[in-house]
Amino acid sequence: MAKPRRTRRPRTTLIILVLASITIITLDARGGLDRLTSGVKSVANDAFAPVRSGVDDIVEPIGSFLAGSVHYGAVRQQNQKLQDEINHLKAQTQQSQMTEEQLKQLSALLDITYLGNLTTVPTQVTGYDASDFAATITIGVGRDQGVELGMPVVTADGLVGQVVEVAHTTATVRLITDGASTVGVIYGSPGSFASAGGQGAGKPLSVDLVPSGTPLTHGELFETSGLNGASFPASIPVGTVASARTGLTASQETVTLQPLADLAHLRYVSVVLWGPSS
Amino acid sequence: MGAVVVTPAAAARVSLVVFGFVCVQQTLMLDLRIGGVHPDIMILLPVAAGIVGGPGRGATMGFWSGLVADLFLPTPFGLSALVGCMVGFAVGMATVALDRSSWWLPLVSGALASIVFVLLYAVLGSILGEPQVLHVDLTRIVVVVSVVNAVLAVPATRLVGWALPEVSTEGIPTSNVGTW
Repeated sequence: MAKPRRTRRPRTTLIILVLASITIITLDARGGLDRLTSGVKSVANDAFAPVRSGVDDIVEPIGSFLAGSVHYGAVRQQNQKLQDEINHLKAQTQQSQMTEEQLKQLSALLDITYLGNLTTVPTQVTGYDASDFAATITIGVGRDQGVELGMPVVTADGLVGQVVEVAHTTATVRLITDGASTVGVIYGSPGSFASAGGQGAGKPLSVDLVPSGTPLTHGELFETSGLNGASFPASIPVGTVASARTGLTASQETVTLQPLADLAHLRYVSVVLWGPSS
Repeated sequence: MGAVVVTPAAAARVSLVVFGFVCVQQTLMLDLRIGGVHPDIMILLPVAAGIVGGPGRGATMGFWSGLVADLFLPTPFGLSALVGCMVGFAVGMATVALDRSSWWLPLVSGALASIVFVLLYAVLGSILGEPQVLHVDLTRIVVVVSVVNAVLAVPATRLVGWALPEVSTEGIPTSNVGTW
């Protein structure tokens, strides 16, 4: 007995949509559709940047107001006036401290000694982790400020990641802790080469190609190697040794690095206007 | 007895609802962190469409809302569409014999479908050349996303039900249509 038409139509729809999705994914991955999707993503992100900013401006004071309403309850009524004044002064002090901290971070970005003569574009981090499956940040500069795909992103402390998507006024940066991130590194003296890969947000980097029995000390510095064709210029601090051990039959040492940049609390970063062909 | 005609008004309503979900996801939801994970309410679109509109509408909504969601994600373009259309279809088929006016149906569907969506997304993502999607705390993501979506499933279903042209009988065996 033939299946009723009502049950056949949705299955046909599903098959068509699944095939369309796979086609889109394949074309995007193979590069045929990449320019179109990048362009559309760029327009969408540019369009949403002011929406995002506006909602943040609305939500933040409401949250502060509600917290204040609960905190300053009936028991503080008779001291309300003095309490308000104290809070106002505290807010001014906190604002002043935040401003000082911002100034300190921004000043540090203006004078990053390990970059030498490379030009940088300081910017603010405007968002974290658009997806729960990728360790990324969104920054407030894009193509209009000279940012291009593949450019490194740093703080005064060290390497943060690499630009993976660019719109006109925003960009997405893949952090070095992301599972898809790989950084060519150098360590020791004379320098030996290795490769540091991300293990997920909040986790140390895993280092490959360190020969078994290599003497490493806790806290030893690893920097970008800048080998010909590498994704990052040389001598950017990446991380320090968090652990190093060799199994009895292992051909490589198992090394993990703690990133030097505080990736969980990024506020200001610098995009290095540099590409692999530079 | 053919396909339901989608009027411009219905298309506008659907577009408005999808746009609203995208706005909320890209603003409030990205700023909301529960255990380091942010909710993903875009999953509710194919789930709600599957409940009120049947498997075909669920798949279609999952495909288009997934494409829109992928505009803002660093993961492969089209992956959310692929997973969304399968989840929307599955929800539609799973609920076809149930009383779609039950209060618990959106809650349970929202939670279960979110779990399936997250796990399927991770598996397909790793197969499609993004192995880093398996380097995340999947358990935490599953818990946060499914709980938040269970809470928001009822209003989401009402919104999508308002947007879709009319309740669909597709996916229901012809012999059972008369019981509606």
